[in-house]
Amino acid sequence: MQEFIDFCRGPLFRLTFLVMIFGLIRILILDIWGAVEAYRNAGDKNLAWKSAFIKTIQWLFPVKHVVARRPVYSLISILFHIGLIVVPIFLLAHVQLWKTSVGIAWWTLPYDWANYLTLLTIACSVALLLGRALSKTSRTLSRKQDYLWPILLLLPFATGYICANVTVSPSMYQLVMLTHMLSAEVIFIFLPFTKIAHCVVMPLSQFVMTLAWKFPARIDKKIAATLKKEGQSV
Amino acid sequence: MKAILTDVTLCIGCQECVAACKTKHNLEPDYPRNFHRTDGLSARNWTSILQKDEHYIRKQCRHCLEPACVSACPVAALVKTPEGAVTYDGSKCIGCRYCMIACPYGIPRYDWDRAIPYIQKCTLCYDLISVGQQPACTTACPTEATIFGERDELLAVAKQRIKDNPDKYINRVFGEHEVGGTSVLYLSDIDLGFMSYPMRDIKSSLPQTTSMAMSAVPPAFVGMGALMGGLYWFCKRKDKIRQQKNDKEGSE
Amino acid sequence: MKRLMTFKSILWTIVGLAMASGITRMLFGLGAITNQSDATPWGIWKGINVVPGIALAAGGFVVTAIIYVMRRHEFSRYSKFAVLLAFLGYISAATSLVVELGLPWLVWHPVIYWQPHSALFEVSWCVILYLTVLFLEFVPVPLDETHWFSGVRRFLIKYKLILVVLGVMISTLHQSSLGTMFLLTPEKLHALWYSSMLPIMFFVSAVAIGPLMVILAVLVVSSLYGRELEREKLGMLGLISMGVLVVYGLIRIIDIAATGKLLLVFDGSWQANIFLLELVLILVLPIIFLAVKKLRYSTAGLWIATISGVLGMVLNRANIAGIMLVQTGNLYIPTIYEIFISVGIISAAILGFLFCVERFKLWETKWEDSRQEPNAQPEFDRSSEVYLGAPRLAGRTIYSMIFVVSLAFGFAVISSDRLYSHGVDDVIAQEARGNGILYIDGNRDNFGVAFGHAEHIKRQQGADSCSVCHHMNLPQDKSSQCSACHRQMYTTTDVFRHDWHASPTGANIACNMCHTPGEEKQKSSAKKCVDCHLDLYPENAVNTFESYLTVSYVDAMHGQCVTCHAERALSDTTKVAQARCPACHTGSLPHYLKEDMRDKLRQPGLSNVIIPKSDVNLELKQGE
Repeated sequence: MQEFIDFCRGPLFRLTFLVMIFGLIRILILDIWGAVEAYRNAGDKNLAWKSAFIKTIQWLFPVKHVVARRPVYSLISILFHIGLIVVPIFLLAHVQLWKTSVGIAWWTLPYDWANYLTLLTIACSVALLLGRALSKTSRTLSRKQDYLWPILLLLPFATGYICANVTVSPSMYQLVMLTHMLSAEVIFIFLPFTKIAHCVVMPLSQFVMTLAWKFPARIDKKIAATLKKEGQSV
Repeated sequence: MKAILTDVTLCIGCQECVAACKTKHNLEPDYPRNFHRTDGLSARNWTSILQKDEHYIRKQCRHCLEPACVSACPVAALVKTPEGAVTYDGSKCIGCRYCMIACPYGIPRYDWDRAIPYIQKCTLCYDLISVGQQPACTTACPTEATIFGERDELLAVAKQRIKDNPDKYINRVFGEHEVGGTSVLYLSDIDLGFMSYPMRDIKSSLPQTTSMAMSAVPPAFVGMGALMGGLYWFCKRKDKIRQQKNDKEGSE
Repeated sequence: MKRLMTFKSILWTIVGLAMASGITRMLFGLGAITNQSDATPWGIWKGINVVPGIALAAGGFVVTAIIYVMRRHEFSRYSKFAVLLAFLGYISAATSLVVELGLPWLVWHPVIYWQPHSALFEVSWCVILYLTVLFLEFVPVPLDETHWFSGVRRFLIKYKLILVVLGVMISTLHQSSLGTMFLLTPEKLHALWYSSMLPIMFFVSAVAIGPLMVILAVLVVSSLYGRELEREKLGMLGLISMGVLVVYGLIRIIDIAATGKLLLVFDGSWQANIFLLELVLILVLPIIFLAVKKLRYSTAGLWIATISGVLGMVLNRANIAGIMLVQTGNLYIPTIYEIFISVGIISAAILGFLFCVERFKLWETKWEDSRQEPNAQPEFDRSSEVYLGAPRLAGRTIYSMIFVVSLAFGFAVISSDRLYSHGVDDVIAQEARGNGILYIDGNRDNFGVAFGHAEHIKRQQGADSCSVCHHMNLPQDKSSQCSACHRQMYTTTDVFRHDWHASPTGANIACNMCHTPGEEKQKSSAKKCVDCHLDLYPENAVNTFESYLTVSYVDAMHGQCVTCHAERALSDTTKVAQARCPACHTGSLPHYLKEDMRDKLRQPGLSNVIIPKSDVNLELKQGE
């Protein structure tokens, strides 16, 4: 069991964590590249830069959404995101691991705050999951992925809370720890290749949407091909 | 030309010279690494004591009169000074390690474990001998097994010792002629052939092997240019003649 | 196209692994990922990438000289291929040098620090100059795609002949001076390869094999992209190659015979066998397959001749620049990371080659990208699933994903032990043997210290004196041996073993038995060892330690003995000698070992010893 934990903590962690980092960089580069290419190929180069920028800011700091439509959902969602980002990065135990292995450390959350935030995140993710499952409209829009992700994100938080607070037998502790690490590693490895990649491409999405609403390059030929009227003048 | 004479029969293997060298050059403690050779020299050990049966032989840079390492170095980081020391200037070095390949005694060592590595080797304490002092190792030697002085004088001393005790020594001053002569000389009662790679022709210096090829470089460069020019002229003329012939045949 | 995609995916995987190894090498130094050592200062990067890479790039100057100087314009279709091959060959060799040099950011130093007697100085100048020439020769091809710098392009094409002649002149020097480099090592390079003709041999073999490499590239491209071959022309090119190969063979055989090494060739040693294999690959097979007319103009014949020639060339250069070079008896086996980098640089060069083949007009007409067909399925961007038009670079989604995953995998497999221990050998310390006189020889190299245990007890006033040296015991033990805790010869050991204490199969202690409940689980909040193990320290112990890590066995022995000895030597001027190393390291072996050790050349055991802090010696000097 200990060997298994060491493996998860060593090579497997390095692999999954780096897949996440490099994968996110890759998706960012690919998106920018694709957008720039599309912009270069577009005949009409007038874009609504300003409105796209404002929309991006509004999505990044969603104050307006809280006040306006669906306040409860928006609030839960924001809290969920805060917990998701803050707890893993600023938890003392995690920073300690970074310090011993790589030698860098940073500001950490106080112990109690971390506990409350963790519980809050767990509660929010359950609420979001229920909200999705109970509402008929969102049920029709949802894919399997959309149900799986909140559960997967919930796992390391729950196990992490147990490890930090509940006194269990050593063998149980090892088991919980293993689940904690394995679930986190599964998240790492799928993160850059699924919808969770929005954590880095989010600021771009509004520009990409604005671009995509313009007709893409050589679309005239594509329309002609689809209509089986190649070579004819439009 | 300064030199060191080491008398193997007088060495008691106390390693005072090794300790003095480490102190003088601020070399860190050494650990056995998988990239070391087994002769005790390393990036943190510029001299060592080899032991063969009851004989102790000090190993260090031989400071050849015509050093292969100096002729190999592409940036003149290694220099043979007039005092006799072969010194190393790390600020010029590019880390090609050609000197390690070139040295017939396998002396230069490398900082394999560092991200910014340099060549490490004995400098004959150049800072000391250039102001008229002795190197740290010869100062430290309690039995005067290794002594410092002018090369000619030390050769004379060595030959005198052989003459006085012909039964004790092998009748040969090691380093007098090998690879064109070295500044570190040995007197010994055992053969010191194991100190270097097996030499085929011990008398000639190693830089001589490349000097002929290197002196052929400028003529080869110009000659190849001329050859290409000539060839081009020749081929063009042949084409022209063939063309004229074809034209003639065509017109006929 | 499926075949091409599989091929490219494999190449991208290797490039990712190589990139991970390369970055690690840059951050942690050469020793962290290579097995290069003081005995073998040059590894496979020199032997496989740099020297053969430059030799195989020779096709660039040979083929262009045939076309432009000798005016054989029927081969002009291959001129761009040859120049591109040479360009990529030189770039890959330069890249390998960047990885291989200790201080790669100073690689330009030969430009300002001149040392014209060095062959390597000449080599570096040739690399710089010829890379420039190759760049100028190749740059019209990509410029053809755009309308930028059309004046420059026309100028370069107009004066191509000058560039070609310059290329020939520089390459002549470069190929031969690579051979000159190894003239300096008569005592290291094996006799079958060492020859004063090395510069000429290097040049002639490069001229011979260069065109074969160009033919091989054409063969590969035609098989990957399904293009028809012009066997007639390729065969003619091969025939020229064969002519030079015959000259090369004659030079080599005459040289071996004239220096009286013929017997060495057939003495059956592994070196001689490799020599014969090399001759078969580089001379016999290509000459046979290119001399016979029927084979020369057949695809299979060309494949065999070129592959064999190229392999033979690589083997020849690898032998001279590595395998046969250093014969110290230390075995050099490259690490998997060295191999990653070596193969990765070659893979990157092939990818660059395929990229140029697909994008530029190398073959009169341009290759159509199958993914850019007008009716091709639109490619969706994975993250946002918004269609932005067909990408200009086909398959970037899949290849970048392969690269990213293999890059991460590369970093994951590099063992952190190797990085942080900086290559210190892992040697378990063995216990001392003997009774009254202990023979302390932790690494069992039979070159230890005879320690008078009984004598020391007597001198320290009797049996109560154990605590002077023995400072800690194993639980439920009295006077534990040194090697019980100082288990590693040269590195520190964890004596506490937290995992074992917590493990249900070990001590099976719940966390809060040691750690104060409700506090952070740290060392400071935990119980001390002596709180549970009451018998940890001997009675009246002089030294007590409160650390979970022990120092190495060597350091422990020296710390214990040298400290005491030095103190005695300083206080008692008649006992100065006992602080010196040979006082204990007498060098005489125990009687039961003497017989089989006597006649062996004993490389010093002392080199394995950390010389104690030199200020002890200095103080001694002053004391005297």
